[in-house]
Amino acid sequence: MSQIKQVSLVLVGVNHNTAPIEVRERLAIPAGRLADATRTLVHQPGIREGLILSTCNRVELVTLQEDPAESSDDKADLLRFLQEYFSVPPKDIQPHLYEFREREAVRHLFRVASSLDSMVVGEPQILGQVKESYTVAREVGAVSTNLEGLLQRAFTVAKKVRSETQIGSSSVSIASVAVDLAKKIFGSLEGKTVLLVGAGKMSELAARHLIQQGASSILVANRTQSRAERIAADLRSAATHTEAVSFDDLYAQAPHADIVITSTGAPQKIFGASHGQHFLHQRRNRPMFFIDIAVPRDVDPRLNEVEGCFVYDIDDLQQVAQANLADRSREAEAAETIVSREVDKYQQRLQSRDAVPAILALQQNAEAIRSAELARLQSKLAELTPQQREAVESLTRSLTAKLLHPQLTALREAAKSRDPQ
Amino acid sequence: MSLFWLRVAVFLYGIAALAVLPAALYDRPRWRHVAIPTATAAFFFHFVSLAEMLNAAHHRLPVDAHELQILLALVLAAAFLVVNWRYKTVSLGVFVLPIVFLLGLIPAFAPGQQEPGLVLNSSIWIFLHIALLLAAYAALFLSLLASVLYLVQERRLKQKKPGLRWLPPLETTDQIALKTLLFGFPCMTAGLLIGSLVAQATIGITYFRDPKILLAFAMWLAYVAMIFIRRHSGLRGRRAVYLSSFVFLFILTVWAANQFSAVHRFTAP
Repeated sequence: MSQIKQVSLVLVGVNHNTAPIEVRERLAIPAGRLADATRTLVHQPGIREGLILSTCNRVELVTLQEDPAESSDDKADLLRFLQEYFSVPPKDIQPHLYEFREREAVRHLFRVASSLDSMVVGEPQILGQVKESYTVAREVGAVSTNLEGLLQRAFTVAKKVRSETQIGSSSVSIASVAVDLAKKIFGSLEGKTVLLVGAGKMSELAARHLIQQGASSILVANRTQSRAERIAADLRSAATHTEAVSFDDLYAQAPHADIVITSTGAPQKIFGASHGQHFLHQRRNRPMFFIDIAVPRDVDPRLNEVEGCFVYDIDDLQQVAQANLADRSREAEAAETIVSREVDKYQQRLQSRDAVPAILALQQNAEAIRSAELARLQSKLAELTPQQREAVESLTRSLTAKLLHPQLTALREAAKSRDPQ
Repeated sequence: MSLFWLRVAVFLYGIAALAVLPAALYDRPRWRHVAIPTATAAFFFHFVSLAEMLNAAHHRLPVDAHELQILLALVLAAAFLVVNWRYKTVSLGVFVLPIVFLLGLIPAFAPGQQEPGLVLNSSIWIFLHIALLLAAYAALFLSLLASVLYLVQERRLKQKKPGLRWLPPLETTDQIALKTLLFGFPCMTAGLLIGSLVAQATIGITYFRDPKILLAFAMWLAYVAMIFIRRHSGLRGRRAVYLSSFVFLFILTVWAANQFSAVHRFTAP
């Protein structure tokens, strides 16, 4: 970093905005090779500390390089590393590569950790991935004081963004929207029964999400019994009871289910309003949630008018997901403000730290003069009692501190107000 | 000194009532960490204030309107804190905490002189009678509130606009509505029973010819009917709200009759 005269923070990389999947996949580093790649990176000439962030959407090299004035071209050095390590010609990478330095590199790292630079803004996985990269880099000794401080700050900023905004609070995928809606109806999903009607990838995914959230029983009904049994077996786990039920028993089994997910290819509706009334009567008005993923729909929309029955078809789920995505965009604006504020704070702290050597030198010089003067007057002070001698020591120290105070304050202020770039 | 503690409590309720807004409406955990401890501290000072007030007045039961108001606010605050502890939802606080704040505001800052409403001997039984009935009113109020929140959440889910994150899940509000009713019922029963026994001992059988007393027993019957219907038919949603509202209005009528009617002032003959 420019503030610590000898080093400079440089971040280069590609992400989903700058590079197509064909480029990203050539640069992606599997988890097992990350330690080796990081070690290789910090062994490059001029690189003092380094970290590699490799996810499906980005590959970024965060480096602390020695004396930028003497280094011919940091980006070229890192490009060479990428070229050599991945055996990718520079012409294939260079057009997609971005580079950030100093303050902008700090901002970018804070934004990445806070999930503001993610494909789905607010997704929670990225922070874990940054932490993972940091752990690997620490293990191979690739980060020390400077990057350590920066990364710890990035984690704090990411946490702050999560707690002070609602950037990650709403779901944006169909399956997670379905789970969210189920939670709005039932609160906890623990002990709830889910009935899967028909076999579809999306309904299976939704069922898995519901199981993750605590649904304890899954009933599967399909016109082909063997298929129902296979799905039931796939979904079975230690904490979940799964059972394939006969399609002929569908209406007898449905009242046991709190959540019904339908995805059959039936041309006509399977559940109508009268079914809903019958189920609710049997359930003593305990609510039921119908998630209709089928096209054409399996559930008559009029079933939603039955008190206690909630019907969401694929369009409804998509609309909720879109609305949540719009909410996230609004929250992202608030998150950007937090990031900007934190970047300023971080830079100010660095700049204050830059003033430390000068302050120390000034203090040491003053102390040397004070000690020398006292030594010179040693003979004249010899007759003083220990208490008087201590009083003189104290007086000279106090005078020195008071005389230095304006200079030290000016140094600190100058460091703070200096242009961060 | 009791007035000072009451003012502290009201001030803290005010802070809690404000802090609960971002905590519930914008789901800000930081504000929840302000609202709940502040409400708890307010409740503590409120209790100290009431105890000191009654002690200083040399009686053990609230006798004027302000003291009753303070006791009602205390019971409501306690009910909110218990619901929050049990169901981990601050949403009810959006409504309950401002009400508690307003109930405490006049006694704290414009105490004045109140006409004693009760000149019966200050026995612990009378205190229990009043406290239990106030607890039943508070429980019914919370039940009604939870039922209304259920209705709003249900409507939003039906209209495919599930955007209001601060509303508790339907099952939670349903549980709060039912459990508070079930809690309020023994309070009301015991409150009425104690009141009747004390009245019979001090006033005699004529007490039970008072139409307002008959109204109070009708209120109890309505409460029993409501619990019976809700438990045995699984009544939820709109119809449950209508039923709770009806019983709540009934109870308000009985309360108003007791407060404002000159026919019977709960005084010894």
